[in-house]
Amino acid sequence: MKDFPVGLRGVKLRAVDHLDLTVPAGVIYGLLGPNGSGKSTTIKALLGLVAPSAGECRIFGRPSGEVAARREVGYLPEAPYFYRHLTGRELVGFYGRMCGLGRRELAGRVETVVAQVGMTGAADRAVETYSKGMLQRIGLAQALVHDPRLLILDEPTAGVDPVGSAAMADLIRGLRDAGKTVLLTSHLLGQMEALCDRVAILDRGRLVAEGTVAELAGGTGRQQLEVDRLDEAQVAELRAWLAARGRGLHGVAAAGRGLDAVFLERVGRDRVGGGQA
Amino acid sequence: MKGAPFSFLRLGLVAQNTLREAVRQRLLHLFVGLALALVLGARGLRDFNFGAPELKFIADCGFGAMTLFGSALTIAATAQLFFSEIENRTALTLLAKPVWRAEFLLGKLVGVALLTGLFCALLTGLLAAVLWVREGELMALDPEGFRGGRAVSYAMVALGGWLQWLRLVVLAAFTLLVASFARTQVFAVVCGFGVLVICHLQHLAQEAYTRAGSTVGVALGSFLGGMFPNFQVLSWADSLAAADLPSLGTWVRLTAYGLGWALAAGLLAVLSFRRREI
Repeated sequence: MKDFPVGLRGVKLRAVDHLDLTVPAGVIYGLLGPNGSGKSTTIKALLGLVAPSAGECRIFGRPSGEVAARREVGYLPEAPYFYRHLTGRELVGFYGRMCGLGRRELAGRVETVVAQVGMTGAADRAVETYSKGMLQRIGLAQALVHDPRLLILDEPTAGVDPVGSAAMADLIRGLRDAGKTVLLTSHLLGQMEALCDRVAILDRGRLVAEGTVAELAGGTGRQQLEVDRLDEAQVAELRAWLAARGRGLHGVAAAGRGLDAVFLERVGRDRVGGGQA
Repeated sequence: MKGAPFSFLRLGLVAQNTLREAVRQRLLHLFVGLALALVLGARGLRDFNFGAPELKFIADCGFGAMTLFGSALTIAATAQLFFSEIENRTALTLLAKPVWRAEFLLGKLVGVALLTGLFCALLTGLLAAVLWVREGELMALDPEGFRGGRAVSYAMVALGGWLQWLRLVVLAAFTLLVASFARTQVFAVVCGFGVLVICHLQHLAQEAYTRAGSTVGVALGSFLGGMFPNFQVLSWADSLAAADLPSLGTWVRLTAYGLGWALAAGLLAVLSFRRREI
């Protein structure tokens, strides 16, 4: 639970209200909710940046307020802002050293994570010249540099174009496949649905739903079939056939590829690897 | 899982980064430029010497520039470097790493101390050069007046620069203490100048209250004396003569006095910052 004082008369705003959440290891876990629902406060409490008013947060069994607990955590803040005078490589190296990596180990790790996020081509440019998408990716590199078991990504695709966003989603899946646990927040529900294994939905600081995407979004008792185009007479015939078997036809719509697919096809995912976005 | 003990390496990395950020600030360039101009231009101002010997007047101008622009630079840089980390949320990324808040805050203080160290070293070196050149010219004009050789003790000039630096470090620590709980940069800057005034003038206030016999005034003076360092203690000796050079023990005591106050204020800042929500 987390209360923030508001004004001088002891009035308190409850940002997180009796939240009880366990993130299983090795999954992509989505934290959903409207603005002000307590997602960022929950993340800050997990990182020891704010102290809960009541209750506790633990990371792999260790209280999150302990500095040592953060050895196992990599964090990418929303709309990250970094030291502008450093190059991408220097930035990742700086955070690596802050995480206790020795010089010999550091050089290899920096190269690995910079390559992993597709920033090798731009790693020697000053951070102040980076686009939003590049900042997100170099931000992910600094979060990964000390090889943490848990990654906390706050709106990792906010303000990023669809190409960068799709590349980030691929990276996150890759991290999960490599055994990392990823805690993710985003307003892009479609992306969260496609990406997350489990999700929790917060509203006004309270947990209102939690489970796998299939559990929460499935369960309508209906199916979608994709068939070749039918004319009106064929649709009527199909409806009658279904009705004879006690089933209903609830909608007919043209199946499209979706604007995302067209955009990615025309603009091309290969742009990302060159350190652009 | 291993623990994460306090690390001077991480503190040093924060300090190094703070210094790199600081030297890119335009405000710093402005203050350094003005201070350099004043030291170099001191010879041109010698008509306003109010009867003081010329070399003493040049030295006073140089140390005055260091005090004036150095104090403004220290307060502005400390507040700006701290609040830029909070407002730009770079502190968020940094403190989400296995980093102690004490490492972060003391690293900031050390970074500003390095910055003011460079500032004082640059100006002291320049002042010494200006004095050396002018003293040489005066020796050529009046060999009789300098029969015993050079009159200026350059160790005394170095001591002056060292004491200036100690004062600036103390000022940075107090500004950081205010910044550790302040919500705005302006508040930290205003309080920083308030601390500067108190530290410079408290001895005068204490003397005035004592002369006037005001019990409340004396109590207030004693309270301020206990809460804030007396910069008069760290004042540059009113002489350039080698004979007035203090002993090594005095140098050490003065250094301990300055660094002691800076450490005390820095530790209080750490205590205050420990519970701050980022």
